[in-house]
Amino acid sequence: MRNALILAIATLALAFSGAGCKDKGNEAGGSGATEDSVKLGLFVSTTGEIATFGGDTKNGADLAVEEINKAGGIKGKLIDLRFYDTASKAEEAGNVATKLATQDKVLVAMGAVASGLSLAAAPVFEQNGVPMVSPSSTNPTVTQQGKNIFRICFLDDFQGGACAVFAYKELGKRKAAIIRNQDDAYSTGLADYFRLKFKALGGEVVADESYKKGTKEFASQITNVKAKEPDIIFLPCYYNDVALLSQQIRGQGIGDDVPMLGGDGWESANLIPNSKGALEGSYFGNHYSPEDPSEHVQAFVKGYKAKYNTAPSSLAALGYDVVYVVKKAIEDAGEFDRAKVRDALAALKDFKGVTGTFSIDENRDARKPISILKVQGDKFLPVKQIYPQDVK
Amino acid sequence: MHRTLALLVVGVSLAFGVDWFLGEFIEEYVVRIINLCGIAIILAVSLNVINGLCGQFSLGHAGFMAIGAYVSAYFTTTLRVLNTETGETIVRAPLFDGAWGFVPALLVGGAAAAAAGLIVGVPTLRLKGDYLAIATLGFGEIVIILLTNFDSVGAARGLPGLPNYASSFWILTFAWICVVGSVFLQRSTFGRALIAIRENELAAEVMGIRVARLKVMAFIYGAFFAGIAGGLLGHLLRTISPSTFGFMKSIEVVVMLVLGGLGSLTGAIVGAIVLTVLPEALRDVEQQAKLPGIRMVVYALVLILMMIFRPQGIFGQRELSLKLLRRVLPARLRGGDSETKP
Repeated sequence: MRNALILAIATLALAFSGAGCKDKGNEAGGSGATEDSVKLGLFVSTTGEIATFGGDTKNGADLAVEEINKAGGIKGKLIDLRFYDTASKAEEAGNVATKLATQDKVLVAMGAVASGLSLAAAPVFEQNGVPMVSPSSTNPTVTQQGKNIFRICFLDDFQGGACAVFAYKELGKRKAAIIRNQDDAYSTGLADYFRLKFKALGGEVVADESYKKGTKEFASQITNVKAKEPDIIFLPCYYNDVALLSQQIRGQGIGDDVPMLGGDGWESANLIPNSKGALEGSYFGNHYSPEDPSEHVQAFVKGYKAKYNTAPSSLAALGYDVVYVVKKAIEDAGEFDRAKVRDALAALKDFKGVTGTFSIDENRDARKPISILKVQGDKFLPVKQIYPQDVK
Repeated sequence: MHRTLALLVVGVSLAFGVDWFLGEFIEEYVVRIINLCGIAIILAVSLNVINGLCGQFSLGHAGFMAIGAYVSAYFTTTLRVLNTETGETIVRAPLFDGAWGFVPALLVGGAAAAAAGLIVGVPTLRLKGDYLAIATLGFGEIVIILLTNFDSVGAARGLPGLPNYASSFWILTFAWICVVGSVFLQRSTFGRALIAIRENELAAEVMGIRVARLKVMAFIYGAFFAGIAGGLLGHLLRTISPSTFGFMKSIEVVVMLVLGGLGSLTGAIVGAIVLTVLPEALRDVEQQAKLPGIRMVVYALVLILMMIFRPQGIFGQRELSLKLLRRVLPARLRGGDSETKP
């Protein structure tokens, strides 16, 4: 038995010692660039619970890399994109981050989508001095993990606040009701910040109901909401819940004069068909609108449709933008050096992306507007852009 | 007693040596996987006491991990709580500061998990087989739901910013303690009694074994180490959220046991290592083959083939030892072996 233990420990220690010896000689030069290519990392979940989000992000990023490489690369070097799947698990995000930072030695890493996974990867990149840019992690704590951690999307607090500003100032609503998914960090985050801002503006939150993940029947929540006679209902949930909620809200006789409002979780090609018209005239905040007539957005939409035969979601647009942000930062830095690229990212100003024009602020977050879209027929029409200074 | 102390000293110095060796010569990525292997070993070996030795079917290991992770993190981490009425953030400094606070925090986490094991064990261990599995599954879900509603530990958002305390040294030390402890347990009267319960509960009771009591003790033992493993995992990942400790986590540990051979301690160790290393090793295969997603297909295929061709697991209920190896080796090699002896 003792022999067995010794054997087990020995296996543990030696299992990879051959394959994984430290490559000490190469550490100084390991800044991710070779003669004719530059290594960039991408880590999102293409399997597991949130696979659709990761898949869209990867498609957007792949399109951008293809375009850049066709046009001659970044400062003459082609992008060598190292992609790893994080399988919607925090352990895997940490593993992949370590692999990208220390084995592939990428110049910059891009990912992840879910905040929980970005939070597991961020300490690893921070420790190794690799700049990490998240395309779509909205939890405020993500970029607080270190000076190498950036993001190019807006935050939950801004999004919640912007919805409150839109409801109070643009729509002139004063009595809001909230129905939130209490098991979802995104939903509770948005609900909390909406509530804070709406009250600070002078409005009243007359009802704040919550439901559990997987609920299909919302009668009790809606009855409570209806009794309080709100003039707007805030639904910070994902589209599948919103489709059911909206039908039941209208079904219980809350009329069209009480619009519904939500965040970027509403965005889906299935939202309108699944809600069967109940959402007509409602609003939600989003990163961009594929209906945006600007040339830049339309070129992206066209390129994406040609490659994948479907309209790009917000996550695809953010995946596309994150690659161009990194390209811009490397060009600004002038060198293929992690620290210099980090500084260039921190100083990024007025970047023109498909998800709007934005700058990186002192918290390494993107300062960018949110597009409020209106559900009309089978389209999402952009009605208003809300800027960070409007929510302050 | 002397032997226990000697073994502890050997374990700690070994962990210290390996920690230095890994830090000095081995790539960080590989070190990380070795650390995850160590945690998986604690999980599998401790579950083996409940599921393998004692023959109870528990699916609540992730729940105990969550308790250990959250309790230890509660002591080591700076907490930030948003007051949803005023918009202020309340900051609370860590209760146990510095790296030396880590071990007490881990032990408190383990103790909390063990206490939960006692509370859950007393009523549920009257149940058998599938019924117990469902009851423990329910326990795991209850833990997740409670954590999702505690604002002080971040509710659904989870708790980020855990300090970087889970070094290879601590992980390997606790893995060693867990493995050596389980070997002792297996050979003790207590362990024999557990095996008797597994083989035939009624007969065991007739022989004077206090079945209910021993089952609860096995449960507490497993829960304690699950709590320790949860604390280590949290401090390795540096962020925890209720979803990290979902039902699938429990299943993963059960699969490690079944793959290695339910009831075999060395099987649990091998199962833990294989199932931790395999998904990572397959990453390179996926890259080479340019087939995204093939990793999970191969992973599942390995498990399915294993269950078809070797349903008792790699080792069955046997232990891996040099004696066994010698028996398995071809006669020619064995002959050569004896020739070299003077």
